[in-house]
Amino acid sequence: MFLAQAGMIPRSFVVSEVRIAAESRTEFGKGAAKRARRAGRVPAVLYGHGTDPRHITLNSHELMLALKTPNVLLRVDGLKGTDNLCLPKAVQRDPIKGFLEHVDLLVVKKGEKVNVEIPVTLTGEIESGGVLNQELTQLEVEAEATHIPEGVEYDIEGLEVGAQVTAADLKLPAGTALVSAPETLVLTISAERTEAEVEAETTEPGAEGEGAGESGGAAATETAEAAGSNE
Amino acid sequence: MLIPRKVKFRKQHHPDLDGRAKGGTKLNFGEYGIQALEPAYVTNRQIEAARIAMTRHIRRGGKVWINIFPDRPMTKKPAETRMGSGKGSPEWWVAPVKPGRVMFELSGVAEPVAKEALRRAIHKLPMKCKFVKREVWE
Repeated sequence: MFLAQAGMIPRSFVVSEVRIAAESRTEFGKGAAKRARRAGRVPAVLYGHGTDPRHITLNSHELMLALKTPNVLLRVDGLKGTDNLCLPKAVQRDPIKGFLEHVDLLVVKKGEKVNVEIPVTLTGEIESGGVLNQELTQLEVEAEATHIPEGVEYDIEGLEVGAQVTAADLKLPAGTALVSAPETLVLTISAERTEAEVEAETTEPGAEGEGAGESGGAAATETAEAAGSNE
Repeated sequence: MLIPRKVKFRKQHHPDLDGRAKGGTKLNFGEYGIQALEPAYVTNRQIEAARIAMTRHIRRGGKVWINIFPDRPMTKKPAETRMGSGKGSPEWWVAPVKPGRVMFELSGVAEPVAKEALRRAIHKLPMKCKFVKREVWE
């Protein structure tokens, strides 16, 4: 996992398994969840394959490191039962600080096929004069739960203006099938804006300062009054 | 300048800025973005200034998305007017922004260029903001 994080392993390599210790949760609700987070634990739920949901907590630092690999296969230790191999299904993070708030873990079995989203990464440089628009960053594929690829790479070296790449053009790793529609647009190359267009875009409308303020205010009033009859 | 084409009520109450953004907290279109860290009303002039600042820096490459729209009117009474006699007249438009909201997105440029372009744009905005980048695990 650490080699993959350091970028030393190609992205098409299979995600490794990470062991993580869990404790059962006995108290519930936001108060209990906050206490768990303060103690360096992340509340989580483990479910799937018809088993009853199991409420657990996981070490937040270990989980944070594990989740840096997309679709990491987790083996949850310290719980009763044998169905402890799981995939992260939903990860809730704080939108500003980014720390983990809660994780849904889906129980999987060896040999089972699962639908997952893998990242699309681009390598190389496009022809000069073009702008790269990557429309799709996550590709939905079907893969064996224990052999999920880390991602799919596409070489954009030398792509010219007007080029389009669809999901069907991506070379998927062995044992992986495409779930997204093959015609899904992955990226396009559009022409760079001309100097005249840039000038037009970066010219401020009207003059700055009082005059602009008055015109802005007048425009606001006019727009509002046009719809004033609705009041 | 961004302005609504038509409004149902020309004078509105002030939108509340309590709590955090409940949506639009992740990058949806571009690779880089500006995320608000404080609540504020962002006026259409500030949005325009920020857009121009980043467009000028990235020059011909790249693409910019603006994820907020100033659709709330703010009113002001004329100077040297006694209180009373009703609400003032609409003067400007604002977008109420809560912490966590990704306001601008950018793609198609190298990271150092994007960082500088967005830093310049942040200076035009009325609240503390941070530069955000799409991560592979998101």
